[in-house]
Amino acid sequence: MDSTAQDRFARLKALRPAPALPAANAGRELVYVPDESGVCAWGIPEHADALARLLGASPARNRFGEHLALRCWFPDPSAAPDPAALRLLAPEAAKEDAVVDPRQWLFLDTETTGLAGGTGTYAFLVGIAWWDRGGLQVEQFFLRELSEETSLLAALAERLAERPVLATFNGKAFDWPLLETRYRMTRQIPPPALRAHLDLLHPARNLWRLRLGSVRLVELERHVLGWDRGADVMSELIPRMYLEFLRGGPAEPLVPVVRHNQMDLRGLARLSCRVLALLAQPESCGEDGLEVYGVSRICERHGETARARKLYQHSLAAALPAEVERAARLKLARLAKRQGDRALSCKLWEETLGGSREGFEAYEQLAMHYEHNARRPEHAAALVHEALAKLRQAQRLDLIAAETCRRLRARFEHRLARLQRKTAFRNLRIPEPA
Amino acid sequence: MLTLWRTKRETSRTGWGANIEPEIGVATLLERLLLRPRTTPQTVQDALRALVGRHPADEILTAVRHLPARAARLRPFPDWVCAELAEVYRAKGIEQLYSHQAEAAELVHEGKHVVVVTPTASGKTLCYNLPVLNAILESPGTRALYLFPTKALAQDQLAELHDLATRLDDCFGVFTYDGDTPVDARRAIRERGHLILSNPDMLHTGILPHHTKWLRLFENLRYIVLDELHTYRGVFGSHLANVLRRLARIAEFYGAKPQFICCSATIANPGELASRLIEDRTELVEENGAPAAEKIFVFYNPPMVNRNLGIRRSYLNESTRVAQELLARKLQTIVFTNRRLHTEVLLTYLQQANPPKPGEPEPVRGYRGGYLPRERREIEHGLRSGRIRGVVATNALELGIDIGSLDACVMAGYPGSIASTWQRAGRAGRRSGVSCAVLVASSMPLDQYIVQHPDYFFGNSPEHAYIQPDNLEILVNHLKCAAFELPLSPEERFGDVDLPALCERLAEAGFLHRSGGKWHWVHESYPADTVSLRSVTSDNFVIIDTEAAGHGRREVIGEVDFTSALMTVHPKAIYLHQGLQYHVERLDFDQRKAYVKPVNAAYYTDAIDYTQVRVLEVAEEARIAGPAARAHGDVLVRTQVVGFKKIKFFTSENVGSGKLELPENEMHSTAFWLTLERELLAALPFPLPDRQSGILGLLYALESMATLLLMCDRRDLGTAVGERPPSPGRETQWQEYDPAISDPAKMPELFSPNLYLYDAYPGGIGFSEPLYQAHAALLHRTRELISACRCESGCPSCVGPAGDKSERAKEAALAILQKLAG
Repeated sequence: MDSTAQDRFARLKALRPAPALPAANAGRELVYVPDESGVCAWGIPEHADALARLLGASPARNRFGEHLALRCWFPDPSAAPDPAALRLLAPEAAKEDAVVDPRQWLFLDTETTGLAGGTGTYAFLVGIAWWDRGGLQVEQFFLRELSEETSLLAALAERLAERPVLATFNGKAFDWPLLETRYRMTRQIPPPALRAHLDLLHPARNLWRLRLGSVRLVELERHVLGWDRGADVMSELIPRMYLEFLRGGPAEPLVPVVRHNQMDLRGLARLSCRVLALLAQPESCGEDGLEVYGVSRICERHGETARARKLYQHSLAAALPAEVERAARLKLARLAKRQGDRALSCKLWEETLGGSREGFEAYEQLAMHYEHNARRPEHAAALVHEALAKLRQAQRLDLIAAETCRRLRARFEHRLARLQRKTAFRNLRIPEPA
Repeated sequence: MLTLWRTKRETSRTGWGANIEPEIGVATLLERLLLRPRTTPQTVQDALRALVGRHPADEILTAVRHLPARAARLRPFPDWVCAELAEVYRAKGIEQLYSHQAEAAELVHEGKHVVVVTPTASGKTLCYNLPVLNAILESPGTRALYLFPTKALAQDQLAELHDLATRLDDCFGVFTYDGDTPVDARRAIRERGHLILSNPDMLHTGILPHHTKWLRLFENLRYIVLDELHTYRGVFGSHLANVLRRLARIAEFYGAKPQFICCSATIANPGELASRLIEDRTELVEENGAPAAEKIFVFYNPPMVNRNLGIRRSYLNESTRVAQELLARKLQTIVFTNRRLHTEVLLTYLQQANPPKPGEPEPVRGYRGGYLPRERREIEHGLRSGRIRGVVATNALELGIDIGSLDACVMAGYPGSIASTWQRAGRAGRRSGVSCAVLVASSMPLDQYIVQHPDYFFGNSPEHAYIQPDNLEILVNHLKCAAFELPLSPEERFGDVDLPALCERLAEAGFLHRSGGKWHWVHESYPADTVSLRSVTSDNFVIIDTEAAGHGRREVIGEVDFTSALMTVHPKAIYLHQGLQYHVERLDFDQRKAYVKPVNAAYYTDAIDYTQVRVLEVAEEARIAGPAARAHGDVLVRTQVVGFKKIKFFTSENVGSGKLELPENEMHSTAFWLTLERELLAALPFPLPDRQSGILGLLYALESMATLLLMCDRRDLGTAVGERPPSPGRETQWQEYDPAISDPAKMPELFSPNLYLYDAYPGGIGFSEPLYQAHAALLHRTRELISACRCESGCPSCVGPAGDKSERAKEAALAILQKLAG
């Protein structure tokens, strides 16, 4: 390359953001191995084998090549969850035998080279796990080089053929689409067909976000399962650690990454038991009203209204934070209204009236009830007056977002205007006695 | 005596040029027009006569060309077109095709890459819709990707295609896919869309990096439509060429080899541009078969106010008057300006002259980039329905946005290129009756050259579109994206570069990693996000009205891109939006927000920027007479907005100014420059201030002639003066002359200034070398321009306005040119 081009490169370098970690090429030489077929092959560098030794992993071969694989078994007394409530996780597949049998499930968690997704993101560590011999069998596939990807994907496809029910934590949005992309990129192995995909993120959100704020798997392990995984790497750092290894860095930093992946799988497996147990019998799983409330919402979403109604009542009987309690009352009131139980819904709305978001909804619902069902427009108008006063108060105290406030006021004022027309009309026909 | 202009026949290949009548005078023309039965009392002709009536006609109207109506050339539908498709078109009133449509469809059918060159409103969409829909009807798996330079143009096409889909029993799916597409609709679009309407930016960031999700599109991709091809010039075109290289790799990965159908406005080299963009042979269709209505093209030069100083009446005020004459006659009129600021200034004037009737909306509206989409759609609709009588626009309306055809077009200032001028003029032209286009010249040299030499405009082909796909900065960025999309193998070709060497470099920098004989992307970032196809940064500023509707509510009223932000929404600026004035209270640079408050001021602001150029590397250098030198090479250009002027409405008086401290903008580019040796300047019989004025004046004239010589847009070139540094890399600033220090006449010459003409795009787009080669012609023409100018001591039409310079600037500039000529 001539000096002009060199200089241009020097300038290009200046334009580029600094690389996250300095490339450490010193300790590493790629070995070029021309083989007889004329196809270039790059030898596996030494430090990759060091990793195999460190982890006790060994090369796994198939017709697409080679990658590292390792297995470990963890005893787990909770092994095998109760599939009774599966219909609430995967309604479309819950009747199939394969899905109902937890031995057919394959837990999966990946570690990737980036978090943004897209065709340039690789899954360098794919961990899978399944119930076996009263414990959890974990198997991990690892890419020493990116060129080993096809053989890794082939191995994963084999496991998925044996256990076609996938269980993940946020795998619907992240891990599985990423793997589908990787399969498509091979142009050789089609993405495996799944019998069902159970993703625990959404039920976990319903059940625990109100209590924990965040529903990261680590948090759930600590606060829901009561299990502390101990020292762990931060998942945001994992892509960087692997890329550093690829560029010739040491293998040791990856040991905790592999352990992290095992922990994720063990946590995921246990969490699935907990979630299913809760969904099946929330009443017997302790006295946490928030969990019961979460189950009610899941039931309601899946159309099990009778059960949802019972569980809402159950959760209201337990101690709930004020805001959640109001929300639970409204939800129950809505169910009751839909089932024609006016008395219950009115009672619940009355209890909820106030200067909160739920309180305003209760005002509105109750006003609707008095206007259309009970035919007492004066009473409805009084309620709306009260709501508007509360609204002004909330605005003064800055308890409500300006946008929400404006919208609510517009609605209440509209209703009030109509109610006043109605009452005026009525008063006209039946003049009050002098 | 009225001037007669002679025109060459058949000089321009398409469009109006082919039909210009050879010899015609203003009087003859007006007479002939006035003899015509007057269908309405107030017409184009009246307006023209009113303009002439006020001044000596030949000085004001330097050219009046009559472009007679032309009949359509028709052909039947080709016999391979499905009967049901031809039937649908017949039902829409299209019984036959224009000759260029038939020719294009035929070539596409033969499997060739086609470029159709079409003026405004000649039925270009049919050129691609007919063959593409026919292919889909024959084989329903077929997929096509339509690319438009803007989201708005794609939206515009959607309506037409939906109509065709309905008429064809919805046998194909058509969707736009851009940044506005809701996330939950995207999956369905990927599965069901036969036609995807998108833009290069979305292809770059949203489609290619996720190509596995677009399996169905790529496996069946048969056609790619590139509409408004001429917009893909300069840096945008260079980026697109690289995006298309990436697209070709992905298509090949899925076993597809798509065919390109391109449409372009009239430029000098549409075929060449297309071939460079798609890197393959293309067939050109340029015989326009569409009919054209009768048109009058007028050059209007504002009257002289002071002949000695070469001062003419303000072209903005004159454009307002021309537009007002037309509007007053109920002619629906579009006014084009070259700057966003001028759009708002002219709008202010025209809205004051045309107040809305009580209870009715404004009859004159503005239209430019930075208005929110909903506001734009409303204006477009108002124009089509005729409810809006006039619109003041930037080049945002130059492209194929459907606003119907108007009666008249006024251009406030030469648009900068022949191609743009014809495009803008094409906005006026009903199917019947007479329409007119008026070019109002500013006092800039280029404008004056054009209106005083109409043959140059009417006789020449439009400009070339240059791109530089192998610009290393652009190419490397796309190479990163390409590696992200699909590992790169050493045998691949990606532009004209040494791919393995480049990949090695990227590997060293930690972006790529070689494994299994291929280079893989191994960086955590998403490379497409860091590359904007259109400018240095993809950032934009939002403009927030802090007192919207008097309730103290905050409301976003518009947006402005990063580079313009410093010029238009700097602190204390008056920002104009739809003719309303806003004072910029605060510019939050980190959050990219400008907080404004409505005001009622009698002035507007115009930013002053300051540019500095540093030579990084000399590519070629040669000595010329003078003594002087010419050179071209790589430069670093720094621009900073340092202050602003306050300019009074209507009188254009300068009523104040302010200083600003804003961050600098840096850009790597290429430049051509002349170095004037100290001996040359010392030998001039002028004192220092005159010499300095001469140098600045010379640069001013050189820029005008360079744009003409390159046939490029004047926005493509920037200028700066700097002292030649003793060695490359060290910089010295051009120092202001200070009369307090010593007697200027005795001051020794200390400087060897460099006169820079640089490419106004990061990385450069290849103007520098042609200028370096053509320096003799450049100097010759510049000398011609200055010596032929009738002013006494310099004017805006030659060396720049006399006020800014010493009285002998013109003389000094000519003396320098004399020395350079040897």
